[in-house]
Amino acid sequence: MFTELDPILHSQLRLAVMSLLISVKEAEFTFIKEKTNATAGNLSVQVQKLREAGYIEVTKQFKDNYPQTTCKVTPKGVEAFENYVRALQQYLQVGGNGK
Amino acid sequence: MHTEEKEFSPQQSLDLIRSMISHTRGAVVNNSFYFLLWGWLVFGCSVGQYLLKTYTAYPFHYMVWWLMPVGGLISAVYGSRQSKKTRVRSFVGDAISYLWIAIALAFIVLLLVNIMREKGWQVAFTYYILMYAIGTFVTGKLIEFKPLVIGGLINFVLAVVSVKFAYDEQLLIGAVAILVSYIIPGYLLRSKARRQNQTHG
Repeated sequence: MFTELDPILHSQLRLAVMSLLISVKEAEFTFIKEKTNATAGNLSVQVQKLREAGYIEVTKQFKDNYPQTTCKVTPKGVEAFENYVRALQQYLQVGGNGK
Repeated sequence: MHTEEKEFSPQQSLDLIRSMISHTRGAVVNNSFYFLLWGWLVFGCSVGQYLLKTYTAYPFHYMVWWLMPVGGLISAVYGSRQSKKTRVRSFVGDAISYLWIAIALAFIVLLLVNIMREKGWQVAFTYYILMYAIGTFVTGKLIEFKPLVIGGLINFVLAVVSVKFAYDEQLLIGAVAILVSYIIPGYLLRSKARRQNQTHG
């Protein structure tokens, strides 16, 4: 009866990254790092996992001679995020009714 | 943020989503620099031309408007510096940029129309004020900032009123229009952004 929570999204840091990206057009790695308080290493790993799942697009380029990584959510990512939130609502509704 | 494998409940998930979204939603789009730059430039040029035309015999009173390309240059330099600093692009921010690019193009078109059509400049301010109205009203709605919306609405009215006046008086109506739609909201927006920066450190 329950929709299983997407394991890619049901992880604190990955969910935080997706939540940040869902409401903007694109954001730099440094911005995401600052808002999530994550370490660069851990964030890199999680961003890579989201990219492999096809949920985000990662662009690396040079801006004023500095490397810059930009992340952007994909349509597949938006759909996954919406499904995840819907599944969460199911869990919460059942929890609420059970009280 | 702790390790990724830590178990967390649906409620915690939802709280996390809410908190992250608030980081991006809360940021005030601070484009007060442009409102103040263009506000004071247009205000100064309008009043300046009015004074030169009415109280002096200086025949080249319209030369004050050559300050407009200077404003364009300052905006372009400022804009390119800001874009290098920007680390996050929002849909609203992009929408506002495209709106003002379209309005800048419309001003150039109006300038050409005024030059090509004999005495076109006599009604020029009606259309300029209409452009201020559209720009500030839409920007105000997009960033949910009432002073800009109110300034825009007042300008829609002023655009109609200006038709009834000759060019000299239109200069003063233009000055009032820019004061209520750019300068006053510009200062209010700047102080709102500063307050928010202080709160968020």
